Amino acid sequence: MADLRATNRAMFWRIIRRLLGANRGRVLVILLALGAGAAITAALLNLQVDAKRRLTSEFLAFGSNVIVAPRNAPDRTAESTTLEETLLDQVPATNEGNEVVRTGFLYLVADVTAFSSNTNSDAAERETPVVVTGYTGGAQQQMLDSSPTAPAIQTDGLPYCNLGARAASQLHVKMHDKLVLRNGKTEETCSVWYVLPYGGQEDNQIFVNIRTAQHLAGLPGRLSLVQATVLGTPQSIERYVAGLQQRLPNVDVRPIRQFTEGEARIYNRISGLLTATVGIVLLLTGLCVMAAMTNVAMERKMDVGLMKAIGGSVRRVLRLFLVEAALLGIAGGLIGGAAGIFLSIGLGKAVFGVAARPRLIVYPISVGLTVFVAILSAFPLRRLASIRPASLFRGEA
Amino acid sequence: MFLRLVADSFGRRPRHKLLTGAALALGMAVVTAALSVSLDVGDRLAKEFRSLGANLVVTPQADSLPLEIGGVDYRPVNAGAYLPEADLGKLKTIFWHNNIVGFAPILEVPVRTAILPKTISSAFAPSLSTTLIGTWSQHSIWTPDLQTRFVTGIEKTNPWWSVEGRWFSEDAAECVIGVNFARKTGRHIGDAILVQDGDKGQILEVAGILSSGGPEDDAVVAPIAIAQKISDKPGEYRRLYVSALTKPEDAFAKRDPKTFAPAEYDRWFCTPYISSIAFQIQQELPGTDVRVIRRVAEGEGQILTRVRMLLWLVTGAALLAAALAVGASSAASVIERRTEIGLMKALGAGSGTVGFLLAAEQLLLAFVGGGIGYALGILLARLLGQRIFGVAPEPTLLVFLVVIGLAATVTLLGCAIPLRRASRYAPAPILRGE
Repeated sequence: MADLRATNRAMFWRIIRRLLGANRGRVLVILLALGAGAAITAALLNLQVDAKRRLTSEFLAFGSNVIVAPRNAPDRTAESTTLEETLLDQVPATNEGNEVVRTGFLYLVADVTAFSSNTNSDAAERETPVVVTGYTGGAQQQMLDSSPTAPAIQTDGLPYCNLGARAASQLHVKMHDKLVLRNGKTEETCSVWYVLPYGGQEDNQIFVNIRTAQHLAGLPGRLSLVQATVLGTPQSIERYVAGLQQRLPNVDVRPIRQFTEGEARIYNRISGLLTATVGIVLLLTGLCVMAAMTNVAMERKMDVGLMKAIGGSVRRVLRLFLVEAALLGIAGGLIGGAAGIFLSIGLGKAVFGVAARPRLIVYPISVGLTVFVAILSAFPLRRLASIRPASLFRGEA
Repeated sequence: MFLRLVADSFGRRPRHKLLTGAALALGMAVVTAALSVSLDVGDRLAKEFRSLGANLVVTPQADSLPLEIGGVDYRPVNAGAYLPEADLGKLKTIFWHNNIVGFAPILEVPVRTAILPKTISSAFAPSLSTTLIGTWSQHSIWTPDLQTRFVTGIEKTNPWWSVEGRWFSEDAAECVIGVNFARKTGRHIGDAILVQDGDKGQILEVAGILSSGGPEDDAVVAPIAIAQKISDKPGEYRRLYVSALTKPEDAFAKRDPKTFAPAEYDRWFCTPYISSIAFQIQQELPGTDVRVIRRVAEGEGQILTRVRMLLWLVTGAALLAAALAVGASSAASVIERRTEIGLMKALGAGSGTVGFLLAAEQLLLAFVGGGIGYALGILLARLLGQRIFGVAPEPTLLVFLVVIGLAATVTLLGCAIPLRRASRYAPAPILRGE
């Protein structure tokens, strides 16, 4: 009995080998179709996985979306309307793997006098009150401007300040002009490094280093507010804000709703779109593989007839074809999947400017999918079970 | 005879033709859906991005520098310039007026508010200084060019402002109070507050509670007419927010318009770049500074470009995969008919005639399959559009033509290769079954 089974098994694999080897050209065409399907699946799936992650980092362009500000206290003293600078370090620097850009700001109104560098006369214009904004760290580039011109080190030893476009035009200053900022009896001099249109209230402000602003305001170690740029899915931003509110119970932590809500809406739409594309991709893979497998089925008519004529059971014949389909699926999936992942690296570069990171999870998924669809589309072969060998050989079917 | 042969081929093996046709229809359905959604997605997403609010801000050119910190302007009330509210209808006369989704003027007045007692017997609560923001809630503007009314307001330019209760109506003495203000004063919807600046005051009924997540949470928002009356600036505003649908800026749009040649200038003017819309608004509203809110505009442009590219890529892949699948199945249908081809040739048909016959069959299949596929695809696209954006994309003739053209090309290409081989067949061995 065991002997018979062994013989059967040997015969089974022998037939499979023959089926695959008999018409090499045919097998190649099917492998190509399966491979193409797997390649497209793998490439698009990989891009899709990457795109959702990438998308949240695109929101960086919108700038900060969380504000930490002092709670409104009834007595409006300097202590109650500003924050400790050390608070900046208590804002978590990462959110689920994404870096959080944190910047502290201190605002004050100073009387500004401009000295033009090319008149050389140092003839001062009259004093104008302007909002002076001190900021911490180099991260302000991302907070304020998405296409920065990197500031270089000044040579004349003066601290540099950056101006909003409107402030600059009102003060009639250009790059390298000197500004004197005065608040009460305190004075600071700075040289204009760059002038940028921000399109917000920043256009009316002068930006200086936080130390300069703190000195001017007479508020060492204090901040008016902290802004943070938190990246991630809408839910993860919500969690971050909630966590921060718990951690800093004495201050006001709030999301900038304009951006958090807008981002959430857009994120949901685009991720819906990406999910739909995955659906389309899966459908297409099925179609590709199905087309390839139908060809196989058509060709096998004679074989089935013969097998049935010499006593093969329907189940055994069917199993034979399913194994063939699975083998083709595995081979096509392995080749196509690998090709697809490489393809997606290039595509990622084209779309997001950064090569998509290959996700290993995509590979087994696309191979598995190809095999699954190959087996599924081999099922029309079931029709072959109803073939009557005699009429087939007479040439009637 | 030719037509009879074609008809016979369909009649004799209907199931087989059905299978090929189904593959074709399915492939074309996917292509149709992908194409329709891709064509539509730019506009849809551009609309979604308007949920970020205004992307242009208009201020008086002659204005002094605002001393604004945390939403409170520290300038004296009489400093600075104002703009006439009556001019705002002109915004809907610019070349790109259809792209202007909404606009709202703002006039801010620092006021003292007193909380009116609910009953005569209870005492006046202490007064509180805050900002009165005068604006439009549902303002209807007559556009002379279009002969229609256009309704706009702060809801369009600041869509993230949410109001519990309802917005004030423009011609009533009503207001919406910020959520922090409401908490501090313990006011609810239906209560009354008194706002005053100097000797001018106004009693306003609270119609709703506003939560914006910004400095407006501490303010009182009322019809602009009331703010104008209190500040003694009739018919004037200080800042205008405009929300416009734009095309993402490319390298061309980033150039300085002054350096354009006349043809380039026309192209720039007739493209809804944010800079050209800003320029046109400035022409209509003299004495203003129109500035792009870069934070909103640039982020929007970047994301739009990327998503659109991604979708075109997917559509391209869909086209390729569908072409492969359909080509393969039509190739199979030709290979199958070797005997038939042999017989026809044995009876004296030339390779050309045989090829023509098969091509005609395939084309017929392509048109039928493509047509059904298009109909299915439109349904699929509607479903997707409805689920993702809540709006189904409009079926376009372009997609139909592309789909039918593609179906024809792909089936013809698919059967061309086996046909070429078939033309080399010698009839005798085939008929002998070799």
